[in-house]
Amino acid sequence: MPVAGFLAWLLPGLGHIYTGHRARGIVCLVTVTATFWTGVAIGGVPQTVNPHERQLWFAAQLCTAGNALTAYAITPLVTSDSGSAPRGAESAHDPPPAHWMSADIGVHYTGVAGLLNLLVIFDALARAEPRRGGKRSERHDSDGRT
Amino acid sequence: MNALLAGILESGIPVTGMQRFALMIPLCLAVAIVYKTTRCEKLRDVPMASLVLCVTIVLGMYTVGIGLYVLFRLMV
Repeated sequence: MPVAGFLAWLLPGLGHIYTGHRARGIVCLVTVTATFWTGVAIGGVPQTVNPHERQLWFAAQLCTAGNALTAYAITPLVTSDSGSAPRGAESAHDPPPAHWMSADIGVHYTGVAGLLNLLVIFDALARAEPRRGGKRSERHDSDGRT
Repeated sequence: MNALLAGILESGIPVTGMQRFALMIPLCLAVAIVYKTTRCEKLRDVPMASLVLCVTIVLGMYTVGIGLYVLFRLMV
């Protein structure tokens, strides 16, 4: 059971796939990942995934660890690849300016994606848990197609 | 292509005016899809249930927003 939760935390839907609910897992994977990276595209990586200035939002983003850590890891790559100094920034260490509304919307998208993955983690844990007497309900045996 | 991708990832996409209201719809749709995926017994019920939930959330939030705006206008 903890393995399903850990896998779901690492990558949205992987816990469901691990427990045999492949279609459900793929839906969660696509939806949560698309929501997260849409937010990153709207707000920009340095403003959206920023553990120094947006600690609580980063905690929410970390609920989908694979996406959040990947975004955090590519932050220095993105800022160094696109030029020697960010456009309009005061110094090389400041993140480039994005419209404040874009940054806020991006943070909301990524934070909500993380919290949605929390729901997915709990659902994966519930589906991985065997029913009393070792018998599973019918919905645990498939994605409801039977 | 790489420069465009790097530009988007670096500074994002400018969003102004009414676009911010439109951007609420995909977020509500994502919330509805994930919630209904975890709740529905049969996956084939998810699309319609998600759509209904998404419309309910969006209309509910717009109603609350309009109500608060009218209240604000009356009080000012």
